[in-house]
Amino acid sequence: MLHAIDLVKRYGPVLALDGFSLSVAAGEIVGLVGHNGAGKTTFVEIVSYLIRQDAGHVTIDGRPPSASRGRVGVAPQHIALYPSVTVREHLNLFGKLAGLRRAALDGAIEELTVALRLGSFIDRRTAGLSGGQQRRVQAATALIHRPGLLLLDEPTAGADLETREAMLDVVKQRAGDGAAIVYTTHYLPELVELQATIAVARSGKIIARGTYDELVDGLPGEVRLIHDNEEEVRVSTTQPAATLIDLLGRAERPISTIEVHNPSLDDLYRSLAVSDAP
Amino acid sequence: MLLDTGYRPGPTAALRESLYRIRALAGNNTLIRLRDPGQTISYVVMPMVLMLVLKPLYVRAVEGGTTKVVTGLLVMFSVFAISIAGNAILAERTWKTWDRLRVSRAPAAELLIGKTLPIYVVMIAQQSILLVYGCLVIGLPVPGNVPLVLGSILVWAFTLLAIGALLAAIVRSHGELSVIADVGALTLSSLGGALVPLSLMPEWAQVAAQLSPGYWALKMLQAAVVGDTAGTMLPAAILLGIALVCGVFAIRRLTRGWGRGGLL
Repeated sequence: MLHAIDLVKRYGPVLALDGFSLSVAAGEIVGLVGHNGAGKTTFVEIVSYLIRQDAGHVTIDGRPPSASRGRVGVAPQHIALYPSVTVREHLNLFGKLAGLRRAALDGAIEELTVALRLGSFIDRRTAGLSGGQQRRVQAATALIHRPGLLLLDEPTAGADLETREAMLDVVKQRAGDGAAIVYTTHYLPELVELQATIAVARSGKIIARGTYDELVDGLPGEVRLIHDNEEEVRVSTTQPAATLIDLLGRAERPISTIEVHNPSLDDLYRSLAVSDAP
Repeated sequence: MLLDTGYRPGPTAALRESLYRIRALAGNNTLIRLRDPGQTISYVVMPMVLMLVLKPLYVRAVEGGTTKVVTGLLVMFSVFAISIAGNAILAERTWKTWDRLRVSRAPAAELLIGKTLPIYVVMIAQQSILLVYGCLVIGLPVPGNVPLVLGSILVWAFTLLAIGALLAAIVRSHGELSVIADVGALTLSSLGGALVPLSLMPEWAQVAAQLSPGYWALKMLQAAVVGDTAGTMLPAAILLGIALVCGVFAIRRLTRGWGRGGLL
């Protein structure tokens, strides 16, 4: 569905994309992760045809982005809604711009109202909504026409639990319906829940791609114990369960706290930084 | 199932779809205008009050004072209305909604028409209300050639819209727009003879007035209300020329968006 090859984009002296390549198949969710400035948003803007690349190629279902307007659903990183317009009016506007009419439009609004739990505030103006509610409305405007390619740029940033749950459910459902989805985030657990392929971006290129298990395999997590006298034991380990059992077996005092940390996104970045170093 | 079928409509269906999208955009922008009418109301009420207050002065100072006070204040406050157009377009930038629209199926031309159409209607309504008020309350003779007056209003509103769009495309904030629009409007419209009749202004100002769109708007409207078709045409042509230059520049900037790539 989406093929981006060797994209290069420069903003003055800053090289935002430096040979960025990423493919997403229909029905696939690709979780695009990376620190701020890694090139994620620039990539999304190029695929959306908001900006043009300096070099490289992008095709969406075989067509360039310029010929794919309306086939892509985009929920940008920042909230971009009309403050004095209600949620329903937003959905009407974006649905109509996508060519939806009467029954199809009403049906799409109804479906998203349920899926993204918009019902309690659908006739309220967006200026009065919470950040999480605005996130859901923004996602709804991107999803209303059931696009073949969805670009969700940090759709749960700063969102509450309800928003996250609703968002992840809808994303899974749309992927199940055959949409190709690019989902940028800083939260690895979301990508695990979505069973997404993870693509790691750094310095304007993709430096690793695979499932969560493939990428964190062999990375150390951490086991932390605190005894009743507040004495703390921390062990970095690739086998947290076995290490925890071993530590518990050897403990000579009662234990007040046990924490097991699986490898995080930062651990992954650090390991890739080491392996990527010259 | 995904709704994207790859269906491509023929020319008639494409036009119908285009009009459907423009209607949706214009409807949305009308809603936004109706929910925030303060600026528009003040640009209608203020000149009404000023016409009443200033009419005796104008009548005593110049021949045809009633026509001059009505058309002068109409022009001045319609120039102020540039900021309505500018703010409406600039708001899309501050709300970051313009890029959302650019990703939709609506091409740039539809986005611009849908955005500016309601503002155009507001500007026409403002000028029409002031003219009718001028006739009913201030004593402006009812124009004999109504289509000529209406045509003049359409031309002037179009020029203002284009100038407003240009300003919105080049300024960086609402504050900047406010300064440029208010100072510019006051300078250009008073220089054009909208506040003080041109004949009472210094000679250098009378020469400089010709650089102001307000001057040509006044000439056009004053000719139109007395039914002088020939006298209406030259100013109308000059105003359309100004509108064309500003409009083309604004469209070029707005269709490229406000991206991070220095595309402005």
